Amino acid sequence: MKKLIVILLLAVTGYFMVISFMDLGKDGPVVKNGVKDFYLDKTVSELKVANTITSIVVNFRGFDTLGEVTVLFLAATALGGILYKKRHHVGERSVLFPSSTIVKAGSKLLFPAIILLGVYVFVHGHLSPGGGFQGGTIIATGFLLMLLAYDNFSVSHKVLSYIESFAGIFFVLFGLSGMFMGKTFLENFMPVGNLNDLFSGGIIPIIYILVGFKVAAELTGLIYTVLNEKE
Amino acid sequence: MSLLEIIGGIFILVGSVFLFLGGLGIFRMPDVYNRLQAGTKATTLGAMSVILGVGISQAATDWTWILKTLVIVIFIAYSNPISSHALARAMYKRKKFPLVKSKAENMDAYREIIETEKEEVKS
Repeated sequence: MKKLIVILLLAVTGYFMVISFMDLGKDGPVVKNGVKDFYLDKTVSELKVANTITSIVVNFRGFDTLGEVTVLFLAATALGGILYKKRHHVGERSVLFPSSTIVKAGSKLLFPAIILLGVYVFVHGHLSPGGGFQGGTIIATGFLLMLLAYDNFSVSHKVLSYIESFAGIFFVLFGLSGMFMGKTFLENFMPVGNLNDLFSGGIIPIIYILVGFKVAAELTGLIYTVLNEKE
Repeated sequence: MSLLEIIGGIFILVGSVFLFLGGLGIFRMPDVYNRLQAGTKATTLGAMSVILGVGISQAATDWTWILKTLVIVIFIAYSNPISSHALARAMYKRKKFPLVKSKAENMDAYREIIETEKEEVKS
């Protein structure tokens, strides 16, 4: 009976939703002369970037991305602060049983392929779907695979924090160097090149590579902290 | 429609049938091992077939599609068995043994699962 009422309610709301969406877009786009046309126009003509979303995220709204990176950094720091404990044996995790030879050999072969895919995704952020955040996450999954397969695999927190800090510092420095060239913070100041070239788009690929390094280091450190947690 | 597109379409059809059967098997099978059987073997073949079919159907315009999709197929053929092996091994090490007809206690467990599922369907 309960389920019947739920289904009926869902059907009624769905009907009214469909009815109200029917009229949308009948006489042209809903937002006329909005900021959308500006983005679509400038991305190809001025920035020579194939991926519009990347140009919005990194160039037009680069300041937001800086905030996003900061939020991720703060989340990783907070989780590390909660889970951190002084341990006697660093790098030894409590495992129920060691993983089998098949998993060990397979992950050894898969690890470079995953790293390569992650690097590809963030290097081609301005040409194809993806970008720094996605590529960094893919790299972190590669480290997760190695950490699950080998119980003595360890990553150095020191190296990770250096990578993370330098990536963040260079992100801000690139923004500031735009100001020295007489433009605004995080505005493009480098030659844009041709459409669909790997070396094109001004500062977009450089900033996405930095973001990729930063996200990969952050998430790897996060996974390592969570896996090392002991009862 | 060229011949390559028709061949690619047949590949995609076969693959989607296998993917459907794999999903049905996960829904229908009683225990972890049977579900793994359906969820990894069938979907490995299904995904490989669909991806290869896409590559073949696009080969008329650009032949490099076949090479690209072959790389993906090799990756799936390499990584999927390893992951299913790891899942099955983890279940076995956790003392969750497969339901076998010859063992009496296993049959009882199987009947219990069937009856609880029936009750869930009724309620």
